[in-house]
Amino acid sequence: MAGKSGRTINNVPESSVKRMILSWEGILVLVLIGVNIFCAFFSDVYNVANLLRQMPYYLAEMFLMIIMAFILVMGEIDISVGATVCLCATVSCIVCNTGAPFIVVILATLVTGTLCGALNALILTIFTELPPMIVTLATQIIFRGIAEIVLGSGGSISASNTQGFKILSTKINLGFGKVPIILFLVLIIGIIFAVILGKSTFGRRVYAVGTNRLAAHYSGIHVQKIRFIIYTMMGTAAAICALFYVSSSYGANTTTGNGYEMDAIAMAVFGGISSTGGKGNLAGGILSAFAIVCLRVGLGQKNVHAQVVLLIVGALLVAAVALPNIIGSLRRAVKKS
Amino acid sequence: MKQKSTLKKLLGSREFLLLVIVIAMFLIVSAINPAFFSFKAISDMMKNNAVTMVMALGMLCVMLVGGIDISCMSALALAAMSIGMLFKYGGLTSTILAFLIATAIGTACGFVVGLIISRADVPPIIATMGFMYIWRALGYLVSFGGEWAGANVLGTFPNFGTGSLLGLNNLVWVIIIAYVIFFIFMKWFRLGRKIYAVGSNPEAAQVSGINVRNIKLLVYTIMGVLSGLSGALYVATYASAQPNMNETTGAMDIIAACVIGGVSMSGGRGTVIGVLLGSFIMAMIPKALPLLHIDALWQNTIKGVLILVVVVVNAVLQRVADRNALSRREM
Repeated sequence: MAGKSGRTINNVPESSVKRMILSWEGILVLVLIGVNIFCAFFSDVYNVANLLRQMPYYLAEMFLMIIMAFILVMGEIDISVGATVCLCATVSCIVCNTGAPFIVVILATLVTGTLCGALNALILTIFTELPPMIVTLATQIIFRGIAEIVLGSGGSISASNTQGFKILSTKINLGFGKVPIILFLVLIIGIIFAVILGKSTFGRRVYAVGTNRLAAHYSGIHVQKIRFIIYTMMGTAAAICALFYVSSSYGANTTTGNGYEMDAIAMAVFGGISSTGGKGNLAGGILSAFAIVCLRVGLGQKNVHAQVVLLIVGALLVAAVALPNIIGSLRRAVKKS
Repeated sequence: MKQKSTLKKLLGSREFLLLVIVIAMFLIVSAINPAFFSFKAISDMMKNNAVTMVMALGMLCVMLVGGIDISCMSALALAAMSIGMLFKYGGLTSTILAFLIATAIGTACGFVVGLIISRADVPPIIATMGFMYIWRALGYLVSFGGEWAGANVLGTFPNFGTGSLLGLNNLVWVIIIAYVIFFIFMKWFRLGRKIYAVGSNPEAAQVSGINVRNIKLLVYTIMGVLSGLSGALYVATYASAQPNMNETTGAMDIIAACVIGGVSMSGGRGTVIGVLLGSFIMAMIPKALPLLHIDALWQNTIKGVLILVVVVVNAVLQRVADRNALSRREM
């Protein structure tokens, strides 16, 4: 189709192998493969069976990453999720210890998480001028504070009736190893939300809000409604994360979920989701999350100090955001001269 | 256009409101428990919160340009751990040298963070999150994987935290000097005004000849200097250095003190006096609760609710002010 200027406008994006590899997701696939090769050489017990056995502990954080991606795409941030996980884990242990059936435990946890998320959402949508960072900072302190009050001076609680939680940590034998159901769940939910973010009207609206909020508002998008839904979902995701946390540790204490929000943000940002909004997709987030999980499992097997793993994650995070910017500005400088 | 009188300006300012809150809190608590109303109690309160109070000044600078630094507590841990290990194995004995080394390490940390943020255009929250992990991990590595430096190896260094000059604790002197320097620097120095200029409108600042990138580098370096200094203060106060110091609270207490003190997250708004009063309020809560016979477990919840209330009330007041300004224009 020839345009006014005589140029041909091609709406179909070019797809080639080179483009696919050079995209951030392509690099992440290489990183994931590289991490696995590195771990296999580094640790002699790094194999599929062990990976599947040790994975669930880290996979719970991926639920947070999935919804955190939506918040980051909107150009906002939620640092209260770690504390929400703590509160939800506490509630699930308490309800579990009353002897209630497991379905009640799940419902109570989900309701708690959703209420926490809804509180954030309510404040942020009523007072739209408030920065999410500050509001979620305050609610972070409040949620963890409530958990501290509930837990009392001991500061920890353990779930006595573990029967129900064992369901969540069951593994299905698929021949090459026992696959934990959390892996299936993470993949299914991840793919569903990747499609929602990438292909659905709702997802495109989230990008619109993240790119230019005012323009989105004037083009008839209910910006506040979208923000409310996403922040509430974030609470629900924290509750799911808490359930799986309790199913692997059978207890909760006041430091439960400490730093989870940072881990979730790190996974998403390393996956190419810009914290300034409007950029990135969930496929990258999921790939980077798996790369980080594999790295943690592999280094953990060799008793590498957890702090060293965090050092590597931190360095990767800074490099992942800084390098493209530096290369871009160098390229611009070269073009100018 | 008529200038508002100085008195009216003073009464209408945010700092005045905060001062009223601080005095009211102070009077209420003192009325219930007279033990709070003593020179020693206030001096102790400042001493115990020296780290937060000093670092809040750096956070003020960072937040004035619209940034945020959550890596500062990790930088503190790295600086403190380094001098702790030097005391233990390096044969370090001089107090002044320890302060200089800690400050130098903190400055280097801040400079690197500033470089990444200003030159590579990494969003401050992401960059400082990465460095939060990196500095903390380096702190662990410096300590050979989690060793402590206790009072027995620190020699005469903890004397700095207990010693006093002219009847005032050394740490209180450090706080007073830091606040006086920053008050003058932010109000009358060209560099200080440039920080405000960059914060309120980066484009306008750039056009009017301010090197925005260098100002950004500067504020994170200032934060680093204060983190390093606070690292030494921490070791002197508690007579111990451990790699997990302040790991759970992180920078949140400092940010909270700034926010209560009226520093805006979007930049350009906030004063040294406000930060002083904000960190006073944050310091008073844990001190006042036991005197009011409230369980210490409630401390964090009350802090959080207070931050939320301050932020929301501020937003409501701003809305009212905007509406008044609009209605006046219509007439």
